[in-house]
Amino acid sequence: MAAEGPVGLRGWTLLGILAAGLWAAWALRLDPAGLVPGQGGLAVARELFARAASPALAYEAEVVPEGIVPLWLRALQASRTTVVFAAAAVSLSAACGLLLGFLASTAWWADDPAGGRAGLSKRIRRAAAPLLYGATRTLVALMRSVHELLWAVLFLAALGRSNLTAVIAIAIPYAGTLAKVFSELIDEAPREAAAALRAAGAGPLQVFLFGLLPRALPDMSAYALYRFECALRSSAILGFFGYPTLGYYIAASFENLHYGEVWTYLYTLVALVALVDLWSGVLRRRFVR
Amino acid sequence: MITAGFQLAGVCVVFGGGVAALRDVDLAVEPGEAVGLVGPSGAGKTTLLRLLNGTLRPTAGSVAVGGADLAALPPRDLRALRSRIGVIHQDLDLVPNLRVVKNVLAGRLGRLSLLGSLRLLLLPPRREVRRVYEILERVGIADKLYERTDRLSGGQRQRVAIARALYQDPAALVADEPVSSVDPARARYTVALLAELCRERRLTLCVSLHSLDLARELLPRLVGMRRGRVLFDRPAGELGDADFHALYDLEPDEVLAHGC
Repeated sequence: MAAEGPVGLRGWTLLGILAAGLWAAWALRLDPAGLVPGQGGLAVARELFARAASPALAYEAEVVPEGIVPLWLRALQASRTTVVFAAAAVSLSAACGLLLGFLASTAWWADDPAGGRAGLSKRIRRAAAPLLYGATRTLVALMRSVHELLWAVLFLAALGRSNLTAVIAIAIPYAGTLAKVFSELIDEAPREAAAALRAAGAGPLQVFLFGLLPRALPDMSAYALYRFECALRSSAILGFFGYPTLGYYIAASFENLHYGEVWTYLYTLVALVALVDLWSGVLRRRFVR
Repeated sequence: MITAGFQLAGVCVVFGGGVAALRDVDLAVEPGEAVGLVGPSGAGKTTLLRLLNGTLRPTAGSVAVGGADLAALPPRDLRALRSRIGVIHQDLDLVPNLRVVKNVLAGRLGRLSLLGSLRLLLLPPRREVRRVYEILERVGIADKLYERTDRLSGGQRQRVAIARALYQDPAALVADEPVSSVDPARARYTVALLAELCRERRLTLCVSLHSLDLARELLPRLVGMRRGRVLFDRPAGELGDADFHALYDLEPDEVLAHGC
């Protein structure tokens, strides 16, 4: 590109981004004065943050029902539920994402240019592949474009509150995201090995399974692990709909003004995410070497 | 098909843009014969080798393998034919994060159904692992059977590629510049190994080489190519320095041309 005056393409881009930001702020009437809390809000915030350094070790309610598990145990149980929901959702979405990711990738279409006379099956495949690809891409985009909370609202209304409802609500957008990323990883994987197998007479599916997929698999596993961390947060948030994950207890304690308990559960969530992060980091390093 | 020869008659290959990579090439390779292709980059060696297993189709002329005209073969037969031609590139066409045994087993895919190949690759029967071991033993890396392929040196990976081609139970081996990425000593070892293996198993061998010395020393028959044509086709012993000068005496436009 030749020089384009004193500003240049990069300069215009930066100016454009700045202008868009200013316009958005004006359109939303963003006023820094809104950040100054009102009297009531200030009091709640002060009370909440006063407890940050001293999370509750026991229930703060004045009357604790008989036979209830201690607070620390309840936090652990809620953590377990959070992990179980996340694991179920990610397993389901990984399976679906693998299938959809395969259909949404183009790497397996590639016929060799000198495939001899085009047989019937090959002609069908050649015609059907772009259709299947387009349909899958659209489906995957739809799955991703709706947030798991909205899916949860939809499914709760339609199916009622069962564990499966929550798992599916998380799994749908996750499967969409995994499918998109999987398909891109598959398409970007080096193709020399695939070409060699094709030259040795392997069929398109065999080439995909043994020449392409193995090359993309380490990155795919690492990304699926990362999605598991995200699923933990989603699973905790689904507590707001009444599932006994950490989010449920955080919301309940907050409503009851038991701020110490809120911090207990929050710290448990942070520890949980950090723990999974550590574990998946070790695994990822083993996958991608 | 135990061993297969190649017959090229009047073959022209023109790529998009009207560049002729091969012009009117006639070549007959008898079953069990070993032939070296020599010539500068861009002479058409790679193009010629790609014709031999039907990865490329000629624009004009005919290519026959084991007496069968490739253009007339239905896809199923073409696939069967390819499964019997072992192709060896450098070492880049292996799956680096798989174990050596899997890379070698993958050589058999062309003769298996999808289910059969899943079974072979995921739960290989002991008999097949034994066969892979024997082939690796023959090429000198039996101890690497369960090693991850990317932990091997370049020369070792190359032998994995050769082992994969042998596990195909091929009728012919085709090797395109198999040694351009390794040092001279290893290059010599590898080409000698290829020639030996083909003698031992009565396989036809077509190999393109950059190194003239290697080609003259290890291959009985040499085909010199330049600008898409066959310049000479004679027993290595009958070739003199004048032939090679004619082959490599490049004109300025050839020096700048890229390989194809």
